Amino acid sequence: MLLDAHTLSRLSGVKVRARAVVEGVLSGLHKSPHQGQSVEFAEHKEYAPGDELKHLDWKAYGKFDRYYVKRFEHETNLRALMVVDASGSMAYGTAGLSKLDVAKVLAATLSHLLLRQQDGAGVALIAGGQFHEIPPRAAATHLSVLLDTLDQAQPGGTTDLATAADTLAEKLPRRSLVCVFSDFFDDRADALKRLLALRARKHDVAVFHLVDPAELQFPFDDPTLFLSMEDERRIEVNPREIKQSYLEEFGRFLDEVKDACTAADCDYERVSTGEPLDGVLLRFLARRGGRL
Amino acid sequence: MTFANPLFLFGTLAAFIPLLVHLFDRRRPRQVPFGAISFVLKSQRRTASRLKLKRLLLYLLRTFILLAVPIALARPQFASAATVAPSRGLAATAVVVDTSLALRWKDGSALFDTARDEAKAAVRELAPEEPATVVACTRSPAAAAPLGFERARLFAALDEVRPGFEAVDLNRCLEVAARALDDSPLPNRRLVLVSAFTQASLHLEVAPPVSTGPKGEKLKPEIVLRDVAKGREELPNRALIDARAEPAPQLGARAWQFTFTVRNDSGEAQKDVELRLEVNGEVVSKGFVDLSPGGTSQKTLSHRFAQGGTVAVTGALEADALIEDDARALVVTVPKELQVLLVNGAPSPQKYKDEAYFTEAALSAPGSPVHAVTRDADAAWREDFSKYDALFLLNVEAPPADVARALAAFVEAGGGLFISVGDHVEPEAWNAAMAQVLPRTLRVVKTAVEPSAPDASSRAARLVQVASAHPVLQPFTGPAREGLLSVRFWRYALFESESGGATAEVLGALDDGAPAFLAARQGKGRVFVFASSVDRDWCDLPIRTAFLPLMQRVAAWLTGTLDERESVRARVGETVALTPEPSQSPAFARAPSGVEVALTPAPDTASVTGGPLPEPGRYEVVDAKGQALPSLAFAATLDPAASDLSRHPVDALSNWFGEDVVKTAGSGGERARTPVWTWLLGLAVLAFFFEGVLLRR
Repeated sequence: MLLDAHTLSRLSGVKVRARAVVEGVLSGLHKSPHQGQSVEFAEHKEYAPGDELKHLDWKAYGKFDRYYVKRFEHETNLRALMVVDASGSMAYGTAGLSKLDVAKVLAATLSHLLLRQQDGAGVALIAGGQFHEIPPRAAATHLSVLLDTLDQAQPGGTTDLATAADTLAEKLPRRSLVCVFSDFFDDRADALKRLLALRARKHDVAVFHLVDPAELQFPFDDPTLFLSMEDERRIEVNPREIKQSYLEEFGRFLDEVKDACTAADCDYERVSTGEPLDGVLLRFLARRGGRL
Repeated sequence: MTFANPLFLFGTLAAFIPLLVHLFDRRRPRQVPFGAISFVLKSQRRTASRLKLKRLLLYLLRTFILLAVPIALARPQFASAATVAPSRGLAATAVVVDTSLALRWKDGSALFDTARDEAKAAVRELAPEEPATVVACTRSPAAAAPLGFERARLFAALDEVRPGFEAVDLNRCLEVAARALDDSPLPNRRLVLVSAFTQASLHLEVAPPVSTGPKGEKLKPEIVLRDVAKGREELPNRALIDARAEPAPQLGARAWQFTFTVRNDSGEAQKDVELRLEVNGEVVSKGFVDLSPGGTSQKTLSHRFAQGGTVAVTGALEADALIEDDARALVVTVPKELQVLLVNGAPSPQKYKDEAYFTEAALSAPGSPVHAVTRDADAAWREDFSKYDALFLLNVEAPPADVARALAAFVEAGGGLFISVGDHVEPEAWNAAMAQVLPRTLRVVKTAVEPSAPDASSRAARLVQVASAHPVLQPFTGPAREGLLSVRFWRYALFESESGGATAEVLGALDDGAPAFLAARQGKGRVFVFASSVDRDWCDLPIRTAFLPLMQRVAAWLTGTLDERESVRARVGETVALTPEPSQSPAFARAPSGVEVALTPAPDTASVTGGPLPEPGRYEVVDAKGQALPSLAFAATLDPAASDLSRHPVDALSNWFGEDVVKTAGSGGERARTPVWTWLLGLAVLAFFFEGVLLRR
């Protein structure tokens, strides 16, 4: 059964919603997502708090008097970072769940799937120039950290994809899967371009473009005072007078985002908050050949 | 500009509603936090100028609608300086509409159409409180309808008015209109005269109309002149004012000539105006006439008819602005080929002593429709009389009894019988044999003087009384009559005074009172008796110039082909009188357009009358069984005076009516008469439509 937004909205918390979606996705997959694991040594990494002590290379300590952790190939098989836009505009939702809610569920579900196949998964929340990251880890216990992080995320601030892109470029040392969940309401012209530039750094970028049905259809009739959800902007208009123009502008924006993603060789998935989310993920996975 | 319902103008205050709504609309819009506000802002910026224009247009359209509707309901009326509301206040009004022939004058549209529009405009311009009536002016106008406030009734009356074919009596019509105003309690009176003001219809010699007030005081009505031909000094017209037809024997058998008189009622000479002669609708001859300004011209066209009978002939001019007087119809009866048997009772080898010689020569003259055959008595009695239209018994002995019966039957069946006396006529034998036929009993032969006597010329009997009204003797007027009266009679038969077989009419009497010509109808036939001989033995008539036309007309009368109705000159608008044969019973005359005019017997005469005749052209006469009577057909013509379209100058009209009461309104006001309120309503509906379109965009 596909889980639509109204159904999910009756479930409380990201954990429960993500589990419901995961089950839906798994029952829809016919091919095992498990990959062969490798134990081949890959590199040394200087110890940082949180690294597992069992991977400390005591020999290296003896030689260099510094702590190094050994990293193996199976750990770097896939590192995925769920970049969730938690700006004010993501709080908008008319179909049961807000765009941020949908983004959380999708990010949690994908994290769940990744950890289930022992890939690394992390979360980055971006809002108003702030960047809060839980680095990707493959430990099964890491899931609850990620889910808690997502659950506690609150919308606020402006959409600042450019800053997030710069931070990601800096923080992602190796090829990673970067899943971006955003409405891309960033007025800066090069924001999307800079985000998609991650692809040039060999990262695998998947864009989940979140839109609300009301944004697609503009179903307003009476004179309305529209309030910005990110700043102090406000405007009073007669929606009937500008509806045609709005639909043209918004349609052009959607096309531009999609075209930019396609041109940058990034996966693009437009997600309406009103549609079933397991269906969205199945469509996404199908496009990627059933793999993450 | 005036308003019929000025109270509605308060409604124009509604035009401020859009402005007030704009200024004081304090409705709080619904507040909606919206993520994609950037796109709303972009769209608003993109459409701002268009929306501003749209709002301005909507504001203007709504204001216009709210302004136009009450103004339209107030019924604005643009009036020229002459037709502004009368300074004297409300007035009882009579609208007099000219329907004379002049209003059929057409230059693009007929003047009458303009007249009807003008009359309707005059009614529309009346204040609702003003009572009014309409007078359709004809030659004999009926009393006007009572004054009323119902405008629809006036419009319906105006729609029923039709232009006529004659000059009207505008003076009489104004008088009728003034009488209609007498009933009004209002102190002011108004006469609106819609006319072309032709001199034929309006006579300025008589006093202008005056109305009578409630207390019997004389009120001079205000006069509004609506000139339907405003701007035209004259209405140029040429008309065929007369047409005459007469036989033209010099051109051959059944040849007639037609003389047309054309008048030019314009200030310009006209050359080579085509004149056509049409017989039964087919052009048979053409001619051209030159016309001097205001002058008349005559043109004669001729035609030889292929056969006898009643024929419709039309003279037609090249059409001008008034086509009704460009044609004139005639009905002529062309004599048929007549077969006449001359029974020569005393044949003589010497022509000048032979009665048949003189008679045959007279009847067979060039152009005569008579074909005469001469037989002696014995041969004639063996002839089949039915082959002949008329028999001429010239000094014949009393016929045998069987022949006498055949002769009587011949006359009874419609044949014509001419009897002249002479040496061979024995009165007693004739009375015995021909009692049925003779109009009067023969008595004796009287000798006035022997022709060989030296004083024969002075003692001879002469005609002293001639019935010129009878068709046979109608042409004998003037010198022709003198010629007839100078005929000398030496010997002649006398008749008993009592009637014979039929009522005899004495057409000519001698100086002793003895009848010289007797005419009688018997059954369907006719008998004509000449009391003397038709050679030179008893009188010298055969060598007189009167002899030839007299014998030809006698032959024509005997055979019923003499046009006894050629004097029928019927005129449109008048009554026609026809004299039918005893066997005919005409019921009605049918006009060219199919309108039927009932014919009723005139008291104390044999004629029937009908009228007034509604239109010009050939009228067909029909009996009660629906059978056409061609011999009674006639043509109605227009009064030439009606074709004179000379107009009164405006100054003359003002002087006549009195300059203090005259106002003029003319074609210049036609545009002003446009019903503004309908335009306003139409524009308001259009504005409403565009407002809807703008709202949907």
